[in-house]
Amino acid sequence: MHPAVLLFGLFFLLMFAGVPIAASLGLAGTLVIAVTGLGIMAVPTNVYAGIAKYPLLAVPMFVLAGAIFDRSGVAARLLRFTTAIIGQGRGSLAVITIVVAMIIGGISGSGPACTAAVGGVMLGAMMRAGYPPGFAAAVTAAAGSTDILIPPSVAFIIYSVLVPSATVPALFAAGILPGILACLALSLPALLLSLRYGFGAQAAKQPKPPFWRSFKEAFWALMAPVLILGGMRTGWFTPTEAAVMAVVYGLVVGFLVYRSLTLKDLYQILVESAETSAVILLVVGLASVFAWASSTLGIVDPIAKGLVRLGGGELGVIMIIMLFLVVVGMFLDGISIFLIFLPLFVPIAQGFNWNLVWFGVLMTYNIAMGQFTPPMAVNLMVSCRLSGASMESTIKWDLWLLLSMFFGLVLIVLYPPLVLWVPEVLGFR
Amino acid sequence: MDQEIQLPEKAAGPKTRIPLKIEEAAAAACIGILALITFANVVVRYLTNISFAFTEEFSVFLMVVMCLVGSSSVMAKGGHLNISYLVEKLPGGPAYVVRLAATLMVCITFLGLVVLGARMAYDEYRYEVTSPGLGLPTWIYTVWLPILSMAIFGRVMGVMIRLLRGGR
Repeated sequence: MHPAVLLFGLFFLLMFAGVPIAASLGLAGTLVIAVTGLGIMAVPTNVYAGIAKYPLLAVPMFVLAGAIFDRSGVAARLLRFTTAIIGQGRGSLAVITIVVAMIIGGISGSGPACTAAVGGVMLGAMMRAGYPPGFAAAVTAAAGSTDILIPPSVAFIIYSVLVPSATVPALFAAGILPGILACLALSLPALLLSLRYGFGAQAAKQPKPPFWRSFKEAFWALMAPVLILGGMRTGWFTPTEAAVMAVVYGLVVGFLVYRSLTLKDLYQILVESAETSAVILLVVGLASVFAWASSTLGIVDPIAKGLVRLGGGELGVIMIIMLFLVVVGMFLDGISIFLIFLPLFVPIAQGFNWNLVWFGVLMTYNIAMGQFTPPMAVNLMVSCRLSGASMESTIKWDLWLLLSMFFGLVLIVLYPPLVLWVPEVLGFR
Repeated sequence: MDQEIQLPEKAAGPKTRIPLKIEEAAAAACIGILALITFANVVVRYLTNISFAFTEEFSVFLMVVMCLVGSSSVMAKGGHLNISYLVEKLPGGPAYVVRLAATLMVCITFLGLVVLGARMAYDEYRYEVTSPGLGLPTWIYTVWLPILSMAIFGRVMGVMIRLLRGGR
């Protein structure tokens, strides 16, 4: 058996048997390295060196900032402000779910985690307001999957570590318009379907929160992205430093402005964010063993060449890659996909002279779509479990959301300025 | 709309003989110190011209420790990303066997890291490898990979024991 087949076969076998993804990657890599005699000491070296990278420090710092913003009630104030703008009519809860996922998401860098966080609040609210569970689950899963496009996205940080020529600020800025596009692409069918079937009509009788008061309360939260992106724009901060400034800002707002945090909360926040980061970094560390094995076996080049030789030209290759990403996005999270498949795709992208920032955003958009494509979608599994809806009952609604997301994707592929305009204007290269 | 948005309470984890608090506190300390060092770096750099850059080496080491220690407590709580969908579709008996086998695989992975990591640290000790930044012997960093992998291994064994005791 060719060692490459063994490597990927073992990985998928272990993964589908329920072995954690990190361990599946590490074990498959280790065994193949041992069998082929590539030098077993590469295993511990790669695990240690894979994690011990300075740019990766941005991951725990952004995760920490996100946890602080969550706990200090910033997110709740954003939700109230969103409600003040959108109102409480038919379909509004569905749209609010999508907007909230966009705002509080991106921090964990994991679609399922974001789905669980948003779904924990919004699924119940939607179902109480008369939305069918299948619809609520589909909307939540879709909303939770797109958060990896919105800065600060951990997926983008990992992409930048692997593709250094695409800087973190450039990727963050590039994700803004596609993120908003995805938000609109999901909101539109969610709203139209709600209007058509009269979902959420009961909630319409409740009064809207007053606009100015909720704006004043949400003001501090709305300033955070300005601080993060602005700080990086002016060159004051590296991404890691910008994240730590967001941590300090969140603490000041939580302890002094809103007075909603206690020291006990802070300890809990530290534990949670350390554990969330540990999960991400363990995948990074053990995936480097896998990546080392696959690159040392020299399987990258033939596959890349084969893809190009398949024909269909540039558009053909990009369509194959996108289809592939949606499929793997159904069961793998964005970070693992980057770690496993970027070494394969980046040479192809370079061969075609594609802009690597655009390519990163495109990959992320596809992965996001995969995360709510039935029947295997990880996010749908989470939202179905939380809402008690069956996977089958979501499909009818989910397909509309996917179709709409697909139109957004076509726009990004055919019109790259949609991705590259913001980083250009802000001067990130 | 007065509900608070927060992450659903993470599973508190199973009852373990060795309290999970140990790893939780260590991981929390690591990320806290990391944030403090990084913040101090920014402040010092803007107030003075002194570069604090030598802390990079230490920060990166702390991040590795945080990863391994945090992975250990998460292991006991079953929180590492995995795909349980297919296993859940299986009937009880086969599902139990697959779970046992999967846990055994995780055991092997981390046992491997203990053994190979120890060899790596020993090699660095033997050849007196020093770090480029602070000039310290590198084994004092890398030796924590096998030590903390041992902790993760212990937590996986705990999962295994609970699986065996609980039966299907």
